[in-house]
Amino acid sequence: MTKRNDFLSRRHLLALGAAGAMTPFAAYRALAQGVPLPEIPPIPETLKGTGELRIAGYGGTGQDAERTAYFQPFEKMSGIKVRDFAGADLNKVKAMVDTGNVEWDVVQLSQGSVKNLMKHGDYFEKIDYELVDTANIDAVYRSEYAIDMLVWSEVMAYRTDAFKGAVPVGWADFWDVKKFPGDRSLDGAGPGNPELEFAVMAAGVAPDKVYPIDIDKAFASYDKIKASVVKWWETGAVPVQMLTDKEVVLTSVWNGRMAALQAAGVPAAISWDQGLLKRDAWAVPKNSPNKANAMKFIAFSTMAVPQARVSSLIPYGSVNSKSAAFVAPKQLALLPSSPDIKSRLVPYDYSWWSEHRDEVVARWNKWILA
Amino acid sequence: MDGTQAALPSAAQLPGRGAKISLVDLEKRFEGVGAVRGISLEIGSGEFLTLLGPSGSGKTTTLMMIAGFETPTDGDIAIDGHSVIGLPPHKRNIGMVFQNYALFPHLTVAENIGFPLKQRGVDRATRTRMVADSLAMVRLPGYEARYPRQLSGGQQQRVALARAIVFQPRLLLMDEPLGALDKQLRESLQLEMRRLHADLGITFVYVTHDQEEALTMSDRIAVVNEGRIAQLGRPEELYDRPSSRFVASFIGESNFLSGVVRGMEEGLVVADCSGTTVHALAAEPLLIGTEVTLTTRPERMRFADTAFPLTGRQNRVRATVTEAMFAGERCRYLLRGEDGAAIVLKEPSGAGTRRRAVGEATEIAWSVADTVVV
Amino acid sequence: MSDAAVITDIPLVRTFPVRPFRHTGAVLLVGPLVLFMVVFYALPVLAMLARSVTEPSLSLANFTRLAHDSVFLHVFGTTLRTAVAVTVGTLLLGYPVALAMSRMRPNAAKLVLVIVLLPFWTSILVRSYAWMVLLGRHGLINEALLAAGVLDTPLRLLNTPIAVHVAMIHIMLPYMILPLSSVLRQIDAALPRAAASLGATQWGVFRQVVLPLSMPGVVAGTLLVFVLSLGFYITPALVGGPRDLMLSQLIAQQVDLLNWSYAACLSATLLAATLLLLALCQMVPGVRGAFRLGVR
Repeated sequence: MTKRNDFLSRRHLLALGAAGAMTPFAAYRALAQGVPLPEIPPIPETLKGTGELRIAGYGGTGQDAERTAYFQPFEKMSGIKVRDFAGADLNKVKAMVDTGNVEWDVVQLSQGSVKNLMKHGDYFEKIDYELVDTANIDAVYRSEYAIDMLVWSEVMAYRTDAFKGAVPVGWADFWDVKKFPGDRSLDGAGPGNPELEFAVMAAGVAPDKVYPIDIDKAFASYDKIKASVVKWWETGAVPVQMLTDKEVVLTSVWNGRMAALQAAGVPAAISWDQGLLKRDAWAVPKNSPNKANAMKFIAFSTMAVPQARVSSLIPYGSVNSKSAAFVAPKQLALLPSSPDIKSRLVPYDYSWWSEHRDEVVARWNKWILA
Repeated sequence: MDGTQAALPSAAQLPGRGAKISLVDLEKRFEGVGAVRGISLEIGSGEFLTLLGPSGSGKTTTLMMIAGFETPTDGDIAIDGHSVIGLPPHKRNIGMVFQNYALFPHLTVAENIGFPLKQRGVDRATRTRMVADSLAMVRLPGYEARYPRQLSGGQQQRVALARAIVFQPRLLLMDEPLGALDKQLRESLQLEMRRLHADLGITFVYVTHDQEEALTMSDRIAVVNEGRIAQLGRPEELYDRPSSRFVASFIGESNFLSGVVRGMEEGLVVADCSGTTVHALAAEPLLIGTEVTLTTRPERMRFADTAFPLTGRQNRVRATVTEAMFAGERCRYLLRGEDGAAIVLKEPSGAGTRRRAVGEATEIAWSVADTVVV
Repeated sequence: MSDAAVITDIPLVRTFPVRPFRHTGAVLLVGPLVLFMVVFYALPVLAMLARSVTEPSLSLANFTRLAHDSVFLHVFGTTLRTAVAVTVGTLLLGYPVALAMSRMRPNAAKLVLVIVLLPFWTSILVRSYAWMVLLGRHGLINEALLAAGVLDTPLRLLNTPIAVHVAMIHIMLPYMILPLSSVLRQIDAALPRAAASLGATQWGVFRQVVLPLSMPGVVAGTLLVFVLSLGFYITPALVGGPRDLMLSQLIAQQVDLLNWSYAACLSATLLAATLLLLALCQMVPGVRGAFRLGVR
């Protein structure tokens, strides 16, 4: 359901970085070099074990960061051999469990997609919260079959050279084509979801009253901006490219992409207010042969220091409230999980989407083609 | 009728049924290399002229220039007195037959033959009649509905012929049209073409490397070598009076004797060939002491003691038989002269001739009139 | 004539005596590939297609739903229209190139072939992004037209059907040019000459001789491009406008919604449309030859 990365890696979009068409990505890679990483303190015996563990992620730079941050340390400290794969995908999990051929022990997904699949049957193992540092992990990050492990944000971004110094704040400004003239782009309903939250906030709904989303209100709000949206994007590389090319002046983006864009010198900025706080989560496919090791790894990777190590490498936040102390202040300022940013964001409600996704997408398809 | 289409020739306006062609100092260079290096030739109305030469001699290039597929680097081509340089092929109104027939594989025989008529805006009914007529002319009546792939090579070539003449061109060009056929078929088609030529009365320009074909069919032959005409003449002239060693050896088989001119006698050259005196015809008087090559045809030579002796003036040399081959209608002997020169002699086989054994010493004789200085 | 009599004996269709060895040999040669295709391709595809009639229950409900599904009908229409436009575009642009190649000297033709194939060596994504950069309102094309004074305000090219067509035509061109030039090169060079000598103008030679003889290539290229275009996914997603949704995008969306039966149903429809098209083409006279290339 939150498809920040998986759509990307599945279609090998990351290859673009290497091909040079996406300069931001090249810069993004450079960001991860030579950063001092905090040392992980010794771990309890309960997290140690034998045998192996197979982890599926979304590939690309993100998985490189995960590998350095906690795959390799986990292997060293727990004695459990880790093998990681790219191409994490909900449909593959379904096929693996259906055929009894479970090749992944831990999969990077989202709470929403895990909930979706659980509606079709018993596809995941319950997370063993006995091992997890629950004292420092928000309840919103925890659910029965998935635990968040990477915090990111879907935010508004704009060309700083487009509005003579005026700064758009909140979605009402995004919707205001008189005050902020120019073309826009927003999330469409490809493999991901349209962000109805933005539409209702633009229509005046308070950020803490977004859920449950008034779908009619959202589409009525979309009607007002439709003419100015030149692209309903399906993959995170597109809004970044269009912002770079000045094809749009305002867009929704994944926050991680913006740091790279700014590093590349594009006059663009994030407007954090009323952004959505989204997360990737770990889940364990049903009947994973290394279920015990999977639970140990999940507990390990969500500890304060391993989480801080990821945040130091890429501008993605931590689920562990103790992580902030281990991240350099300059990097912390970029993270959606840093206290003064997090407070301006709306936590994405994966449960609501899990219930309403089919309905919204069906309606979206009709609306966009009308 | 569209102005860009070729018009049916109004034969009435021109003398004779065949076109008159003049090639004037025709040259063609490909990337600086001369393929044709100055060919001048007048081809008469209704004539059957053959361009004969080895491959690479320039004969096909010459033909392609007449057809309009190649543009001369220099010189002029005139058909019935009008230069056709710059006139595209489809406006030249020339029939053409290609070596591999070049029938359109996607069209039936009738459509193939009707093709030039269609280009000229001939209506369907007339077309059908003319196609049938020309199929009858090449003796393939009733083949209209077939496709080329359903025909033999000989039949395909006849269809190609029919197609090339159906629009009544005044000139028919043929580029080794029988090259891909076997010997028997070739001979029967040679006759066919002679007959067609006689019936149609149009000018034929025929390209071949087969000297026998050229001799059989042509009114005149232009022997082409290295981009130039080596000799032009009727078949008998070329055969009996070759003007160069190239022509003598390219057309038929020839014996060559080297000699030195000793003098002229009654218009004949008297030459000394390694001690033997030989008389020969010469186109012009030669100075004493000139080194010459004399040539004569193997079948014009006799053993001096044959039962069918020659009449008139003769040349004689002594020679030894080194090889004897029976070849049905004739016997072919290889001999060595006293000076070591190889001589070929062909003797008709029959009851009156005696087979010579290898090693037999003998004397051979041939008519002075069959001896030519080249 | 003697040869006429002889020749009528030759069968028009050559038949070969059936010998057991030929069959055994053929089975041994083709067998591994057939087995591979059945196990790893045909069976999974059939299993996938089966979902369209077995889920949620054994019925054609998914298909009857399609007939009244305005989204599907719109997307199917867009997909067909795009495939037709791309096919026509590649044919019109590709034919002259293939024709020129067939008339070039071998070395020059090789060079052109390399240039034609160049896009093949770049990922489809990179090419699509390149078109984003080129077609943007501040992209190369608009900037050039503005600088030349042709335009006052930049044209909207990116995120329109035009962008989808242009980018897809670029990607599909080699698939049209290759079969075309292969067929054109096989045409005996004497045939156009013969036609010209028989009075056909240049256009007449092309229309009456070259074009009909190149039809197998036209059909092969057209089918190839059309069928591949039906399944396009990334390019329309990247450079298309809001309404340029292709069937493959809809299928991917439905797969992500875990709506496998509906996705299977969409796939079955796409497959059926493709097969129907192939069947129709088989019925056009002269087209069967397109599938016999190289056998003659």
